[in-house]
Amino acid sequence: MGRSDEELVGACQAGEASAFDVLVGRWEDRIRGAAYRFLGSEDEARDVAQEAFLKAYRGLSGFKQEARFSSWLYQIATNLCRDRLRRRKTRPQVSLEALEETGPVIVEMRPGAHERLLERDLAEAVRRAIHTLPEEQREVVILKEYQELTFLEIAQALDVPVSTVKTRLYRGLVQLRLRLETEGVRGSAPVAVPAP
Amino acid sequence: MECERVRDEALQGDKLDVLYGEADAAARARVDTHLEACAACREELQALRSLRRDLGHWRVPVARPSFTPRGFVVPHWLAAAALVLLAFGATLGISGYLSLRRALAAQEARAAELERQQRESLGAIQASLARTPVSASDAQALVARVEAGLDERFKASEALQAERLDRHFASWQERAEVRRRVDMAQVAASLSYLDGRHGEQLARTNELMGYVLQASQKR
Repeated sequence: MGRSDEELVGACQAGEASAFDVLVGRWEDRIRGAAYRFLGSEDEARDVAQEAFLKAYRGLSGFKQEARFSSWLYQIATNLCRDRLRRRKTRPQVSLEALEETGPVIVEMRPGAHERLLERDLAEAVRRAIHTLPEEQREVVILKEYQELTFLEIAQALDVPVSTVKTRLYRGLVQLRLRLETEGVRGSAPVAVPAP
Repeated sequence: MECERVRDEALQGDKLDVLYGEADAAARARVDTHLEACAACREELQALRSLRRDLGHWRVPVARPSFTPRGFVVPHWLAAAALVLLAFGATLGISGYLSLRRALAAQEARAAELERQQRESLGAIQASLARTPVSASDAQALVARVEAGLDERFKASEALQAERLDRHFASWQERAEVRRRVDMAQVAASLSYLDGRHGEQLARTNELMGYVLQASQKR
């Protein structure tokens, strides 16, 4: 049985630098996954993951373990993604990956090709729908739905009350249902829209 | 149809707890009680479960960990070593070819000398046969000697051929090994090129991380 995050953080703070490697190995994929979903770019997601771990390492001596290490790490990564999204608004850019995703699809008509195309369409519809959400709803949906954080962990990562997390998530899910229903995606049912 | 408690945030929170498996017994009981009486919320919860299945189709592309270089990045020293190896292989090939040529020339000279000696010996036998009448026993002995001589020449010839083959094979093996190493170095260099700037960037990042760790340890 490996050491817990808290034990590893304690070891790092006591000067055992290799313990941080274990934390990186444990959380890197998930942080990169969250950043990819926030930003839509693999390259940027990788950069954000690296920056997040560097920041975490530099700030480790001041980390009091009042929140979980993972929540703190998600908080750092989320803030880095927010910064990048803000910079994008002032300096719009188009990533090659975005072009690829919206580009023409070459279909190889082998067995199962139709299903793969449907799967890809569905994934693309979900990606577009999530990226139309307001930032605060999108963050909560991604952290809950894909990173599988608890409501408390999300609240710690975003520094908001749990009730706010739930409200944002509920509104986000309702918006997603509406959006996917509009696109004719399977499984979506008519929505009763709550008052804002 | 709309739930009369559509603006009840506490109920929404309970429903989300149930939806994501975080509800305690009390919250689950509250939701169950409400769902028994509210078709709209039953339908909504069902739709949210279905929505979650749809959301699950958006996956993150699989990638190698960012703190290890992607693919095989050839360091500069290895590329230099490959060049040195290439030059060494070329030199080895040329010198091997020259030494093989010299060895073959020496073998041919020895074979020519052997043939000349055989011709002289045959000439002497023929001259002695012409000078003196030969008895039957002498003739048999002579035939036996000639046969033994021929056997010896055949064996010498076979040994010569085997030696030549061995030299050829050794030379071929040597050149094939050099070629294989050069090819491996070229493949590694091509892989590094294909890996492109990400590999270099990540290697630089690794280096940066190393500095940070070292600096921290020193402190």
